[in-house]
This record gives sequence, C-alpha cells and structure tokens, in this order.
Amino acid sequence: MKRADPRVKLLWVLLCTTGALVFFRPMWMLGLTLFSLGGTLLFGVTLQALGRRLRGFLPLALVILALHILFVRAGNPLVIIRGYPVLYSGGVMRGATTLLRFFVILCSAAVMARENTRRVLTALTKLGISYLFSFMLMIALRFIPSFSTSFSDALIALQLRGVELKKIPFGQKIRLYKDLVLPVVADAVVKSKELAIVMEARGFGALPTRTSYLDVRMTFADWVLTCILFSLGLLSFGFYYLFG
Amino acid sequence: MPAISLSNLVFCYAKGDFVLSCPSLDFPHGELRLIMGANGSGKTTLSKLMCGILKPLQGDVRIFGKPSSALSLGQIGSDVGYLFQNPARQLFAGTVWREMVFVDELLGRDLEASAQRAQDLLERFGLGALKERSIYNLSGGEKQRLALCTLLMGGAQFLILDEPTVGLDRQNREILYTIIDDLLEEGRGLAVITHEKELISRYSNARKIKVERGQVLV
Repeated sequence: MKRADPRVKLLWVLLCTTGALVFFRPMWMLGLTLFSLGGTLLFGVTLQALGRRLRGFLPLALVILALHILFVRAGNPLVIIRGYPVLYSGGVMRGATTLLRFFVILCSAAVMARENTRRVLTALTKLGISYLFSFMLMIALRFIPSFSTSFSDALIALQLRGVELKKIPFGQKIRLYKDLVLPVVADAVVKSKELAIVMEARGFGALPTRTSYLDVRMTFADWVLTCILFSLGLLSFGFYYLFG
Repeated sequence: MPAISLSNLVFCYAKGDFVLSCPSLDFPHGELRLIMGANGSGKTTLSKLMCGILKPLQGDVRIFGKPSSALSLGQIGSDVGYLFQNPARQLFAGTVWREMVFVDELLGRDLEASAQRAQDLLERFGLGALKERSIYNLSGGEKQRLALCTLLMGGAQFLILDEPTVGLDRQNREILYTIIDDLLEEGRGLAVITHEKELISRYSNARKIKVERGQVLV
C-alpha cells in the first residue's frame, strides 16, 4: 500500500478529515482514530515519523485539552472543590474528542507529506482539477514548512535576546505570538510574490496545457482499495447519520 | 573561564545525513575567532551548537562555565548573542524603535533606562535617524546593524555572527568592521563565521578554526 496511487490516498484523506469534522460521539471518533492510524502505517509512515510530527503539536494539543476541560460545563461533575465543580465529564470527553480529531488530521497530513508532489499534481489533474489550481494547492502546502521555520526562527531569535518564554504569563505569551505571526505572514506574502515573478519568468502558464513524462495509473489493487474505502465511507457516514 | 567551551562534540541531524564532530575548543572573552569553511561544511551547525539552538548528541557545551543543556535559550541569550545569516529573520517588531525596546517592554523592565540605552546604541550604529522607519524598509546592512543592536540590548557578552558580510557593499562592510573593532575593544568576545577573504585578511591575527566536511579542525 506504500506505492498506492495518490488518488487512493486522497480518498482516504477525504474520508478521515470528513469523519473528523462530522463525528462528535467519542466512540465514533475513537474508531476513526484507529482507522486513521492503521491507514497511516499502511501507507508507509513510520511510528517514529508520526511521533516527531505529533511532538511539535503537543503544546497546542494540551492547551486545547485544558481549555475544553476548564470551560465546557456539561455532564456530571467529576471533581468538586469546596462545593464548586471544577471538572465535568462532558468537558473531559469533549477535550478527548478534539484531541483525537487533531490526531486524525495530523495522520492525513503525514500521509500526504510523504507523497511525491509531482505524483499528487498529476493525480489531481487526472481527477479533472485544473493544473493551475492543483499547482497552487501544492505550492500553498509547501509554504507550511517554510512558515513554521520562519516562526521558529523568530522564537529562537527572541529567546536569544534573553527572553525566557516559560516565565512569561500565558496572556502575555499569546500577545507575543500575535506579534511574531504578523511578520512571518508578511514574509510569506513577499515570498509568494517573488515566487510568482520567478514562475512567470520561467514561462509558467505560457501554454494552456502542460505535458508531463510522469504518469500515474490506477492498478487493480488501487481499484480494489478505492472500492473498499468508498463502501466503508458510505456505510459509516450513512450509519452515523441514521443511528449515530 | 572561556565564554564558550566545547568538548568532544558529536552532532547529527535527525535525518542522519550530516554529522559534525568537534574536538575540545574554547572561545575566550575579548577575542575574535574566525570560523572558516566551504558552503555546507558545518559552520552554521557549529555556531548553532555554540549557542544552544542545537543540542549535541555527545560531548559538552559550556557557556560561561555552565552546561548549555542545563540552560534555556533565554538564559543563554543573556550572555550569548547570535546574528543569523539572514538578519531579517530575527526582526519582528514593526519599527526600528519598537524592535529595540520590544524585549524590555515585554519583560516590564525600566523603560526609561531601556530607551536611553536603545538611543545610544542606535546612534552608535548609525541608525539614529531611522527610529521610526519600518523594519521592512531597511536595507540589508541596516537590518544587520539593527539585529546586532538588539543583541547588545539583551546584554550579550559574546556574539556569534553568521556570515555577516554576505550581501553587503563595501561601505557597509567597512561599517561592520568598525563595529567588530569596537566590540572587541569593549572586551566582548566574537566568533565570526565567514569565507570572505577580505574579512579573513583584515583580521589575520585572529585565531582561525576550519570546518571541513563536518570536521572541526583546530
């Protein structure tokens, strides 16, 4: 399955991410998480690589969990301090579900990040999506690592001016991140403008169609996998809609 | 006690495609060291290990006597400043003045003293007239000097400059050399990463450290 056609992987990603958005019940989300994890491993992403990807998002995930636990006041109170309930079962379940949702999306990203960009582009074109749109999409995805590098460089630079991030109060830290994000976005806009100029200078879009040596073809195994994923998607979403 | 002391370092990136090894090496106060080597030889990796951005797999990095593994980047930054190869990456506060006082404002320090220090530094580095200028409208040389000013605002006693002459015209290079001379005169230590012949010949008395294919040759 490591060499599966990008279209199969895109279908799997579509199922996972749609499920992540649609499913709200914890057991359904747990099932989807197992399905995503299984797919991720079968599509060739190692546990170590997935772990590295998750580690980067761990602080954000913990903040999300904490916010849900603190602010969602539904279900039964689990912890009561001096007569005041501080932790509800609904908050814990909602936090856990959101974390799983996060995990599913990261799994999808890990699978697509492993795929060759040109293969994905060719696959999208074969699906009838215009080359220009597919190319824009791929370029936008390529900006994510560059965006994250710029942000982490800015954070390192700030710390090397003597700022200990751990000692900054939470509210101030949020304001700080806001200050850091703006120039990073501005940098990305400048880079995208430069990229557009460079691409035009190299003749991008000079002709209405583009030929390519690379071709992607659906094998028998790919068709079988597509049928299985399609049926599974129809069954699960139908079942969730009717009985979930 | 040296400002930075490296002992038997081994470093490898996560992908495992580049390994850097370095024998014992000291960077003292008040002295200039030139780190030289071809592109991709490991100069920047070495400099990032020196200031704790990267952590070694083996060996020890000590910053003013303390192991870098026990210090946060913020603690290291109070003693050691790092000028990126592209200084634009370390500027983010909007205008030149805000950039200078950003950290002191953030940490709630004495703003009057901070403003005075910022003003002095800007004048000294020839940026006094550009206080209200947006950082996006600065030239490469101005951005570099501003980034250096911000490091000095943080109180860094030892500075690591990663290829500081790249992209600078003759006039800006001369300004940079004057700044390096001044910093050395003040007793600050400097490690300058370069492969620029002009800089190397200008500081021919400085001790040179060569990096070749991931091997640091002292």
